[in-house]
Amino acid sequence: MLNKKKKAQEEIIGFALIVIIVAIILLFFLVFYLKSGEKEGVESYEADSFIQASLQYTTECRDYLEYLSVQKLIFECNNNALCLDDREACEVLNSTLREIVDESWLIGEDRPVKGYELKITANQEEMLSFVEGNVTKNYKGTKQDFTQSGNSIEIFFRAYY
Amino acid sequence: MIKHKKGQMKIQQMVFLLVAVTIFFVLVGMFFVTVVFSGLRESAALLEEENALLLVSKLANSPEFSCGNAFGSTKINCIDSDKAMALKNNINKYSGFWGVDGIEIKKIYPEDERICTFENYPDCGEILLLSSRGTGVSNFVALCKKENIEGQIYDKCELARISVYYGE
Repeated sequence: MLNKKKKAQEEIIGFALIVIIVAIILLFFLVFYLKSGEKEGVESYEADSFIQASLQYTTECRDYLEYLSVQKLIFECNNNALCLDDREACEVLNSTLREIVDESWLIGEDRPVKGYELKITANQEEMLSFVEGNVTKNYKGTKQDFTQSGNSIEIFFRAYY
Repeated sequence: MIKHKKGQMKIQQMVFLLVAVTIFFVLVGMFFVTVVFSGLRESAALLEEENALLLVSKLANSPEFSCGNAFGSTKINCIDSDKAMALKNNINKYSGFWGVDGIEIKKIYPEDERICTFENYPDCGEILLLSSRGTGVSNFVALCKKENIEGQIYDKCELARISVYYGE
């Protein structure tokens, strides 16, 4: 009799343990899923258009033919070239892009955009990079790449919300 | 007495089972609700953004605004500011053509608050085509024009935002 009672108790404890383990596993997956969802960024058409428009911007750097666009200036920077007024192409590129992003994505605690990040790489090597404001888990971003004379240029932009 | 205890035990076992099964289904339900709703929210935000972009891009890339081949190669999201100013003069002929109530092109960099008129163009920063306001969507564009510097003609593109308003 005592044996039977003990057996039943063990059965209940075993069952309860299984339920608890299953519940913990499910909770773990739920928390993991929700956390990874928060971190995920969204491809943004607005950021995409921003990069496209910025690449067409005419800078103050000129060669013998014309004033260079940001896109052409990136190539010149990659070749360590100088502008006609002896300024370094990379220096003009850096200051121009900083000002463009600064004016286009106004950041602040009371604004929807909390921060931004821009990075340009040439053949996987960093050419230019800057981060302003707060880096949060919610962001909208874009990546654009183009090539010239075998050089692969990639532009990454993220706006943090 | 023993039978009574055995019955109690069975009831207890059943209660445990019911509680466990309920918790299990509640958790599974919560999991699916979260999955479904997070997906919906994301899809809705993406669709909304895509629609807004399509509306604005449609306008920016229409022949009345687009740069075409005037500035070298074909460019997308590029507005010819001379075309926009010419259109400003004939905007009444286009009322209802794009199905929007307001169109505004504002220079972002370099920033210029002056509203463009035929007297001050190109030394201005805001081209108001249709001035009606309402729900607005906007997108980044390059605002390009031909500029005369020391007798030479250069292409000059600046960064701007085209805003479209509808449903006042």
